[in-house]
Amino acid sequence: MALKTEAQYIESLRKLNTKVYLMGEKIDNWVDHPMIRPSIDCVAMTHKLAEDPQYTDLMTTKSHLTGKTINRFTHIHQSTDDLIKKVKMLRLLGQKTASCFQRCVGMDAFNAVYSTTFEIDEKYGTEYHKRFKKYLEFVQENDLVVDGAMTDPKGDRGLPPHKQADKDMFMHVVEKRADGIVVRGSKAHQTGCINSQEHLIMPTMAMGEDDKEYAISFSIESDAEGIFMIYGRQSCDTRKMEDPDSIDVGNPKYGGQEALVVFDDVFIPNERVFMCEEYEFATMMVERFAGYHRESYGGCKVGVGDVVIGAAALAAEYNGAQKASHIKDKLIEMTHLNETLYCCGIACSAEGWKTKAGNYQIDLLLANVCKQNVTRFPYEIVRLAEDIAGGLMVTMPSHKDFHSTVKAGKGDKTIGDWCNKYFAGNANVSTEDRMKVLRFLENICLGAAAVGYRTESMHGAGSPQAQRIMISRQGNTEMKKGLAKDIIGIKK
Amino acid sequence: MICGVKFCGGCNPRYDRGEAFKKIKEHFTHRVDFVIAEEGKTYDFLLIIGGCTNCCASYKQYNWKTEVIKMWDEKHLPEVIEKIERIISN
Repeated sequence: MALKTEAQYIESLRKLNTKVYLMGEKIDNWVDHPMIRPSIDCVAMTHKLAEDPQYTDLMTTKSHLTGKTINRFTHIHQSTDDLIKKVKMLRLLGQKTASCFQRCVGMDAFNAVYSTTFEIDEKYGTEYHKRFKKYLEFVQENDLVVDGAMTDPKGDRGLPPHKQADKDMFMHVVEKRADGIVVRGSKAHQTGCINSQEHLIMPTMAMGEDDKEYAISFSIESDAEGIFMIYGRQSCDTRKMEDPDSIDVGNPKYGGQEALVVFDDVFIPNERVFMCEEYEFATMMVERFAGYHRESYGGCKVGVGDVVIGAAALAAEYNGAQKASHIKDKLIEMTHLNETLYCCGIACSAEGWKTKAGNYQIDLLLANVCKQNVTRFPYEIVRLAEDIAGGLMVTMPSHKDFHSTVKAGKGDKTIGDWCNKYFAGNANVSTEDRMKVLRFLENICLGAAAVGYRTESMHGAGSPQAQRIMISRQGNTEMKKGLAKDIIGIKK
Repeated sequence: MICGVKFCGGCNPRYDRGEAFKKIKEHFTHRVDFVIAEEGKTYDFLLIIGGCTNCCASYKQYNWKTEVIKMWDEKHLPEVIEKIERIISN
């Protein structure tokens, strides 16, 4: 089976014994839970599109390990063309879901671990790369969804791992056995972790020699003994618990997911360990993963932005304001901002380079510039969307009011009648369709989907300052000073 | 006559590629079999349906006898139909 269908993916989740806690309770049938299911359907889209001939050129490719057709989300980039196609694929999925589809972290982790393990082995004669290739073949053959997990809780940010009052603030080795290691700690904000069959763990930041017990990378099944997950809340998430046909949910089909993944003394067999105490390679793995992931945002958020622009244009039309010049100009501005992000994603991919392991890495400076823009532009895009939508986006009554048969006023009119009368806009559009668009925009601008489009754009793949540090390191200022000196005749 | 068809991945198509393909298929009903291209098979010709000017779909992995026809705009439909008519008549 090199490609899983959408149904096979969902069925595979049911077979797992993943331990999930939500709002203080253990959820046994989490696959069908209304707060979780939209995020599962979102990941399922990565399988569904891979079956559709209109999208296979982006969604599938050939494995460099086996020659078989695989889902691109399990691929090791073999060229800059692969990097470009990745960005295009992510844009496509953003367009189809208007959500975070969660699977890119795994792909980015595969590529970072692939090249870093090669270079660890080169220095130490270890066999991490061989182990990882075997693991990757297993992932590709079973078309697995893998949570690429990097972010530790980090405790006191002013202290390195070994000086933390609670050592578990960073994932670490607590026991070494002949056949493997036992690890303890947790990974925070893990996108799509519950919807993943596997986890691929990486260190969270650069490590010194004193921190070597924290310099670890490994893979593990999501339902392994000792692992459990605590679901993260999203703004307005309980709307998903209301009537499934209610328009108040905003996006009736898809959504994102983040959770805390706890490792309560979990055994990792040797064949799944890809770094253990080689602390000087933690930086390489982190930078490479972060670089890929900052490239990713130049695709996925652009796809979501496409939907936001479309919804804003619809809102204007349904309000009857589509011909106003300022509305047209705002839509142009939104498009300009969105396509600028795409330009950055494509640019850092086109300028990619071949690692020692043979796979392709993005241009680090351009990827960081890409992500830095992503920390800003979606905020301006949603500001403009809210401007176009109007205040009704956040003041309109509920779906139930629009359908209420309760009589109100002096005549026979119901609450539903009054709502439909006073919230009507363009006569060619039903009031309900107008409300649907406004609820969708509310969802993405400040509701549950704002987690994915706004705050994830800010902090996902590293907060803005992390990119500024990388931009500073990669900016080549000395060369630029030399350029100025040459032109104006300064010799020293 | 068999035509191998390949779509680009559709990241930002400027027109409905599926609808354009449907129109081409309808025009050549009973005259050309349009199938999604697969490696290892040989087609009389290839039709590449891109969504934008980049027309980035990969197709060199396929085998074809005569030519590769590319389109990336709805306006290309008459030209594509004309080219296929020419292939049939030859």
